[in-house]
Amino acid sequence: MNVVVRCESLCRTYQEDAYPVKALDEVSFQVNDGEFVSLAGPSGSGKSTLLNLIGGLDRPTSGEVYLGETRLNDLDATHLSDLRLFELGFIFQDYNLIPVLNALENVEFTMQLQGVSAKERTDRALATLESLGLGDLAHRRPSELSGGQQQRVAIARAIVTRPRVLLADEPSANLDSKSTEGLLVLLQNLNREQGVTIITATHDPMVMRYARRRVQLVDGHIDADESAET
Amino acid sequence: MKLLVQLSWRNLWRQRRRNGMMLMAILVAVGSLVFTNALIRGYQYDMLEDAILNLSGHVKVLAPGYRNDPSAESNFTVPGQFHPDIGPEHLFGWTSRVVVPAVIISERETRGIQLVGIDPADEQNMSFLAKATIEGTMLSSPDDKGVLVGKKLVDQLNTKLGRRIVLITQGADGLNREAGFRIVGTYDASGTSVEKMFVFAGRETLQTLLGTSAVTELSVRLVSEKNEIQVKEALQAQFPDLEVLDWKELQPQAGAMFEFSDATILIWFVIMASALAFGLVNTLITGVMERVRELGMFRALGMRPNAVLLQVMIESILIVVVGLLGGLIIGYMLVIWMSGGIDLSEFSQGLEMIGIRSVVVPRLLVQDIVQVSVLTTVLGFLASLYPAVKAVRIRPLDALRK
Repeated sequence: MNVVVRCESLCRTYQEDAYPVKALDEVSFQVNDGEFVSLAGPSGSGKSTLLNLIGGLDRPTSGEVYLGETRLNDLDATHLSDLRLFELGFIFQDYNLIPVLNALENVEFTMQLQGVSAKERTDRALATLESLGLGDLAHRRPSELSGGQQQRVAIARAIVTRPRVLLADEPSANLDSKSTEGLLVLLQNLNREQGVTIITATHDPMVMRYARRRVQLVDGHIDADESAET
Repeated sequence: MKLLVQLSWRNLWRQRRRNGMMLMAILVAVGSLVFTNALIRGYQYDMLEDAILNLSGHVKVLAPGYRNDPSAESNFTVPGQFHPDIGPEHLFGWTSRVVVPAVIISERETRGIQLVGIDPADEQNMSFLAKATIEGTMLSSPDDKGVLVGKKLVDQLNTKLGRRIVLITQGADGLNREAGFRIVGTYDASGTSVEKMFVFAGRETLQTLLGTSAVTELSVRLVSEKNEIQVKEALQAQFPDLEVLDWKELQPQAGAMFEFSDATILIWFVIMASALAFGLVNTLITGVMERVRELGMFRALGMRPNAVLLQVMIESILIVVVGLLGGLIIGYMLVIWMSGGIDLSEFSQGLEMIGIRSVVVPRLLVQDIVQVSVLTTVLGFLASLYPAVKAVRIRPLDALRK
């Protein structure tokens, strides 16, 4: 198995009201190609911080983060942007769709940034939306979609570029249980059928059940790391 | 780039009221700027035309010392076959005159004037006489024995058309000469000061009175003032011992006012543009602050910092360009609407003192439209820099936490 994510002695300290707060403390961790990992733990345990460091959205106070062979610590803002664009896919808790673009344009957005041709872009975006059951809603704006539909558009946007790793931060936080189940089946299929590596930060037990590996964080430390059959 | 333009354009429609107000401000500012520029240009070119037609011409040849002591003694001879060495496409007309200070005496009053000996045929292309309303008759030839007097001067002298007046001046030999003339015509020019200043006689008649066959000036009128420098050089080559001066040197006050008009246009633009810039920066900053989370998300998804910068700048440029085009149309329509001129005759006496005609006709120059367009676009670009840099400084993680 290839290692796609590697964290070594990762520390992240925030400054809050002049007091340093350690969100992550000497965390070492790696994810292999094709894994579906859930980072679980209570609020403040450091799971989102770890996800942000892996996604290049934040920089560690000390320690190292690798995506494949690339050491993220060495990259400037522009190179980190390119890395996020070409190597990673993001699913956010609040979907974060672009309100002025319709579903199809939202899915095309990252491909446009990548410079994919217009025809290929549209073909791939439509195919992805259809595979997620959103073919009929392609021309609707986010405000005209339900929460579950918006989250599926966000997933389409994240996977349409065929990223090496899909990062999902509390993807079920704003969904009801039915929509959550649909989302998780979708992620599971992506992982199993297309081999997409998924790392999700969550405190939702349902999400944890679908993941094939569960990493439990407590107070910035990895408390448990176990594989599970789903 | 297409994506950035698309995002920018749609973002503008998100805040229709706010951006609409900004657009209106640009429309009004550019429209009024174009119209005000046209008015200033109208005044400026009226002033230039008046200066040229009030016997200056664009370029004039004078004997050395004439400007300090404008008498018949400072004269020169124009060769019989002379023609200005200027391409016919640049030359509107030329003439030689005898201009001397004189005293005019009627049966009741006495006044100091400029006595001008002219060839009446030449003046049709050269001076305000072509447009002036003449009561009685115009001088018929250089040897006409009558004089043409301004209407206001006739009033001051308490005389009238057909009456005789006496002119006293100094001859080419420095001795006083006087002669009686009949007023064959009175002229009504647009400026009362002109009517009080110039009395016209036939050039040959005046030369006979002064005892000389020479002239005191050679005046050249051009198709456009842009060729003044070449024409000056050409005339200087033809008259190496004489002074060759352009209208700004002959009428420095009018020249200074002409250049001040250029400066006024620029100053007016800077004032308008500064006010506009604050509004634009405020609108864009508000737009950026409202979209912090969205801009952070763009960055999180892989949009490069310079693309974020560009997106905010395109928004600014789009609103400015739309406002600019609308403003130019409004300004143009105002100029067309006022093309008959704005009547300021109620203030005509005061205006005349500073060289403004009683009816100002706006004049739209291509160079002014280009200047407003270029400077406004540059303004849009500069005004967008601060909000754009602020947008780039948004850290994706901080933005997503909001």
